[in-house]
Amino acid sequence: MIDVSYLSAAPEMMLVLGAVAVLMVDVFAKPPPRVHGWITAAAYLAAGASIVLQWQRLGAGGGGLSFGGALVLDPWAAAVRAVLLVVAVLGTLCAWEMLAGLGRRMAEGVSLVLVATAGFMLMGASVDLVMVFIALEIGSIALYVLAGIVRSSPAGDEAAMKYFLLGAFASAIFIYGGALAYAGTGATNLFDIERFLNDYLVARPAVILIGMALLVVGMGFKVTAAPFHSWAPDVYQGAPAGVVGFMAAAAKVGGFAALVHILFIGFARYQGAWSDGLAVIAALSVVLGTLLAIGQSDVRRMLAYSGVAHAGFLLTGMTAGAPAADGLLFYLATYSVMLVGAFAAVTAVSGPAGAGSSFDEYRGLGRRSPVAAAVLALTMIAMSGMPLTTGFIGKFQMFASAWDGGYEWLVIVGLAASVAAFFFYLRLVVLMYFRPGEENGRDPDAPLPLPVTIRWVLLFSAAVTLVFGIYPGPLLGLLTRV
Amino acid sequence: MIAAAIVTADWYMTLAAVLFLIGMAGLLLRNNALVMFMSVELMLNAVNLTFVAAARAHGDIGGQMAVLFVLVVAAAEVAVGLAIIVSIFRIRRTASVDDLSELSG
Repeated sequence: MIDVSYLSAAPEMMLVLGAVAVLMVDVFAKPPPRVHGWITAAAYLAAGASIVLQWQRLGAGGGGLSFGGALVLDPWAAAVRAVLLVVAVLGTLCAWEMLAGLGRRMAEGVSLVLVATAGFMLMGASVDLVMVFIALEIGSIALYVLAGIVRSSPAGDEAAMKYFLLGAFASAIFIYGGALAYAGTGATNLFDIERFLNDYLVARPAVILIGMALLVVGMGFKVTAAPFHSWAPDVYQGAPAGVVGFMAAAAKVGGFAALVHILFIGFARYQGAWSDGLAVIAALSVVLGTLLAIGQSDVRRMLAYSGVAHAGFLLTGMTAGAPAADGLLFYLATYSVMLVGAFAAVTAVSGPAGAGSSFDEYRGLGRRSPVAAAVLALTMIAMSGMPLTTGFIGKFQMFASAWDGGYEWLVIVGLAASVAAFFFYLRLVVLMYFRPGEENGRDPDAPLPLPVTIRWVLLFSAAVTLVFGIYPGPLLGLLTRV
Repeated sequence: MIAAAIVTADWYMTLAAVLFLIGMAGLLLRNNALVMFMSVELMLNAVNLTFVAAARAHGDIGGQMAVLFVLVVAAAEVAVGLAIIVSIFRIRRTASVDDLSELSG
């Protein structure tokens, strides 16, 4: 069965070609940073063009399996790629100052961002458990290195170490789940697994069910669902500020993209079992994420725990099964943009390569940098799920799916947690606007320098959050053709 | 004969499960980064054993192919993991994760 359609992997190929080009040009020409910028931009443009071509192919009734059934070209895969491309462009802009500051090692950093994006894009297109594993590792290993890429920072090293050990642990759990699923069904391809489970009455499903549970646990680590979230706060706090937003958003989008294929296609037959499992994880994530976020004194750790809660909201929607996929991608896309926007503001405050970001640094930010403060405030409000922002629409869809799926208790838990979450989101807003900044003897009103790349990210993030919060129609329409 | 073959694969898979649990326990209980990392490798090898045993039981080549991919990924992880451990050791002169306590809150 030779069925290679290069189009179904074209965006990833463009990004990897871009990564190779960056490295090779660096070896031979030792160019200034802007040359890397042009090559990266060209790679993103080519990847974007490939995604457009994929949409056209899909619109013409094309698509389907390729590469021996390892990859699928379906609307979900194409839409996930589009979301990840936006995240990658924003993430690269946000990280640019940090990357340029790496000097001779800049090419490494740039190519790692490109390769990580390609890996997570592949996760959304993979329909074979082995392929999902490889895609996951392509993305994750690149992120481990990015977390520790600033060598002078002990916090970065520590973040890289923790991320690496727990990430490798999670990957091993995930692929053991794949191995057990293979042992039970004789297939690693999700469509073959689906066919096997539909065609045969499985006498002893225990091995398959354990395998499925381990697949979910492994992916749960990657999307920072509780109780598998312990690495996230440390990594977000210690990694260089510029890449954290990209790191957090890309891993979450990739993880959920793969989880949707695994559960909705491969194990659709066992939906009764995994719905209940996801509901428990979702409730734990929402409650633990919210409660732990309240006590934080570091903005990045607070955002990490809020990310745990958001993973919980996404899982809340997923309990409903395939019908929830509509809202899932809207939530993932808009939350990613908020997250990158929030971390762009964090980058402005703590410096491009800095670690840590205590609440005190944000006192009086409203006067020091009106743009950063306004966007950070907007993203906080959107994350809390206030109406007229994309956060509200995303959350509403998740709750609606879960309610229709019969998980009313989960919706009630989610609503209660959302109310509690106002406290820590608004605490930051209050700090920025109503508390004078006179810590450490520095001038409280000294304007904060805002690099132009970060300003773009902030403005884009704010625009998406507001415009699609008020008129969600176009984006919803685009992402729910999935 | 067929029954014997199935029992054999089951035994291997049980062994793999035990290895996997040992690796998991090692990762969760030990505090030396190198030992923790070795535990992860043990877990991946348990995965490989499961794949091979299942491939044998199913008479399917797919599981053996999967092992090759897992091996490659494990090698890539070694490269990055050891680099991170060396980088930490250079700064702190220790490979114990108990000393990695700068980040908390």
